[in-house]
Amino acid sequence: MMTEMMFGLRRSARTLLERDGHPGPGPGRLALVMAPSGVGKTAFLVGIGIDALLSGQNVLHISLHCTVEKVRAWYDDLVKELLRREKKLAHAAEIQLEIERRRHIHTYVGRSFSVGKLRQAVELLRETMAFTPRVIIFDQPEMERVERETVEELRRIAGELGAELWLACRTHRQGPPTLPGHLPPPADRMEDLVDLGFRLDSHDTRVRLHIVKDRQEMLDRDLNILLDPETLLLITGVAARRP
Amino acid sequence: MSSEVHKIRNIGISAHIDSGKTTLTERILFYARKIHAIHEVKGKDGVGATMDHMELERERGITITSASTTIEWKGHHINIIDTPGHVDFTIEVERALRVLDGAVLVLCAVAGVQSQSISVDRQMRRYKVPRIAFINKCDRTGANPDRVVRALRDKLGHHPVLLQIPIGLEGNFEGIIDLIEMQAVYFRGPNGEQIEITEIPEALRAQAEERRTELIDTASMFSDELLEAALEGQATPELIREAVRRGTLTLELTPVLVGSAYKNKGVQRLLDAVGAFLPSPAEVPIEAIDLDHDNAPVELQADPAAQTVVYAFKLDEGRFGQVTYIRVYQGTLSKGDSVVQTRTGRRIRIGRLVRLHADDMEDIASAMAGDIVGLFGVDCHTGDTFVAEGRRLAMTSMHVPDAVISLAITPADNKAQVNMSKALQRFAKEDPTFRVKLDQDSGETIISGMGELHLDVYVERMRREYGAVVETGQPEVAYREAISRRADFDYLHRKQTGGSGQYAKVAGYIEPCEEKDYEMVDAIRGGAIPTEYIPACDKGFRSALAKGSLIGFPIVGVRVVLNDGNSHAVDSSDMAFQTAARAAFREVYRRAAPRILEPIMKVAVEGAGEFQGAIYRTLLHRRGVVIGSTEDEGFARIDAEVPLAEMFGYSTELRSATQGKAEYTMEFARYAPVPKDVSEELMKQYKGRPVEEEE
Repeated sequence: MMTEMMFGLRRSARTLLERDGHPGPGPGRLALVMAPSGVGKTAFLVGIGIDALLSGQNVLHISLHCTVEKVRAWYDDLVKELLRREKKLAHAAEIQLEIERRRHIHTYVGRSFSVGKLRQAVELLRETMAFTPRVIIFDQPEMERVERETVEELRRIAGELGAELWLACRTHRQGPPTLPGHLPPPADRMEDLVDLGFRLDSHDTRVRLHIVKDRQEMLDRDLNILLDPETLLLITGVAARRP
Repeated sequence: MSSEVHKIRNIGISAHIDSGKTTLTERILFYARKIHAIHEVKGKDGVGATMDHMELERERGITITSASTTIEWKGHHINIIDTPGHVDFTIEVERALRVLDGAVLVLCAVAGVQSQSISVDRQMRRYKVPRIAFINKCDRTGANPDRVVRALRDKLGHHPVLLQIPIGLEGNFEGIIDLIEMQAVYFRGPNGEQIEITEIPEALRAQAEERRTELIDTASMFSDELLEAALEGQATPELIREAVRRGTLTLELTPVLVGSAYKNKGVQRLLDAVGAFLPSPAEVPIEAIDLDHDNAPVELQADPAAQTVVYAFKLDEGRFGQVTYIRVYQGTLSKGDSVVQTRTGRRIRIGRLVRLHADDMEDIASAMAGDIVGLFGVDCHTGDTFVAEGRRLAMTSMHVPDAVISLAITPADNKAQVNMSKALQRFAKEDPTFRVKLDQDSGETIISGMGELHLDVYVERMRREYGAVVETGQPEVAYREAISRRADFDYLHRKQTGGSGQYAKVAGYIEPCEEKDYEMVDAIRGGAIPTEYIPACDKGFRSALAKGSLIGFPIVGVRVVLNDGNSHAVDSSDMAFQTAARAAFREVYRRAAPRILEPIMKVAVEGAGEFQGAIYRTLLHRRGVVIGSTEDEGFARIDAEVPLAEMFGYSTELRSATQGKAEYTMEFARYAPVPKDVSEELMKQYKGRPVEEEE
């Protein structure tokens, strides 16, 4: 019963893609969400994480710029908001516990990050805690600071684990223009590594979701998905169905 | 003695246990000529550092209670409030923070920012205490001040700015370079008391220039004058100090100094910095509440002529008797004055006023706004406010958390019996989080508090300070019971055979209540229960909440809605309704799916990176949920939530699992339902027999 109820709470863009028959990025594949600063990339990623958690998948959330406490607060706030909307606050404690059991937040302070260390951390989680993620979120929006090799290795790790990988990239309002048939800079540097590309577009009180890359195809299709600018959750009351 | 308010500095020295706070304090007292010789913590001479004034603390090498001491330094009058660093004693830390205007954050140059520093720093931010950081132990192997500065930024969210850089490090640590004055400073003589100022060594010149530019860049955000002067290459030490001071007071900047208290280096400059960058009482906004005007906030002024407002932040029983540590927030307090204790309305005469040094004191005639002094012969509680004739003001009351753990204690002999009650009375007054009660059923004395160590320390103090040896039972977790669904009740209490009868009928429902522990809603229409009996119903429900039927712990989070009932013209009474309400609750409680709640602790473990796996394992088999992990250049921090019931003996296990290279802090997070198997076990223990599940 609990599982079903949690499943029914899902409200992120990932749910809607699934409803439309889109398979999502899939194991070992990379989904990238692009937006200028302030539009809500982190909230979007956290929404994706919660979605996966509510469907019973393990999530590894890696952050290079927030503390564990801060990332956790993102999740807590968003889950509380979901429960409030669905008038399910009475179940908050159980859901919280379910979520925490399936989620691991891993952060790095200063210049401690290297993809080799991450690989070790993932192995440690698997060995000592029997924790294998199905979704990996890598939150470092400044793509300029991420080496191409890092993304390649992240993809490889995800592939070995059978997990899908979600990244964010901050684009610049006044930067070099986006060339036709390419992703906006600085994401264009590694666009061949991206399996699924999304763009968040902020319009007054709404954020619209565009798909800009789907497997090998470059496109720019408005998915007609309206997101709340605060929470980046779906605004329309589309209930998630079990596939 | 200087007497102007703007020359006063009320500061705390906050530090992780091993970062050398006591040694630093010792040196400060020495340079300020408050003591005449230096003793080391756990020193061979067996004397121990002066500030560490409790025998127990001496033995453990840690400081548990906050004492206050006063020094004079270059025209400044500095009151040092010794703040404890362990989170089990949060209330002590918070009480001390309340009266601080600024703090020195002592960090170890090797270990950097550790988990306890994080908790204490978070509390300081909550109380808006400006801080300067002192990176101590620069002489130790592995000292790396740059890493500590980074940790200040990344872990604590400070904006640190180095005012000094070390000359050499580890075994070669010789002195410091003052980046404001651009000079090299050496501390000579057997105790570092002779300061020698020279040119900056050539080898460090370029680095010093570079760091000074960084300092000016950062500081000029707080001063346009400095910005302009810097552009013209005219930044003066005065302008830099002024800008750094502004940034510090608004908590936007943390000046960082370096040194080694143990090697007598850098301490005098730290004292200079206290005077230069931390605020005087007049620069810190302080609010009290006006009890006669619906607790409206009242801004206090550090004005010696205004209505006197005094706050008691610590009671202590030393060898001179009971001292009450107070801070005068407004006005002046003089010997012979008569003040009103706001809580009780009692009038109190100030008999003796003293200025305190760790284990010594001097009598004074008066203390003015901003000062921290001691009082004798005053019977009060920690947190009491005293005011002069006029408005009934109270310093904002501090939040006191519920106790999460309790321990049954029995005196070993007759002598212990008498001394134990004396000690307990004293402790309960000193520490609001320490509670004492008598268990009606077993006749045992139960003490409760914030953690295992918290209670351990009091048991030890009873033995050492009061000669009361007590035997302790197993520590017991403070469970709660709560309902998880709505259930209706309709209960008739009738006893009308012979004599005066009893008749009362109550009906309604109970449901979970998120916001409060208990609430009764009177939804009676048409006088089904006469108004005069409603308070009796309330009383009856309340009494039923005191002990739940699952395991005998208090029931929390219940709303009782009373919507119907009946009464009898002759046989109804307060007593009848009380009984009816109590019985109705007991009966309906079973049907409201009651469950047991347990305290969940937020646990942070920090240690060398290679023990991360071992740390995970220690948490997992204690029903812990690991929230996350952080990697920080060879160190790892693991955040988890663990039921308090599973935390007994954790320090021992952690030590052996990590060869002593990890430590942890723990604080109360919330109450959460216990898993089914644990719940069944608890009920079985309570009832002494297997119990069927009550759905």
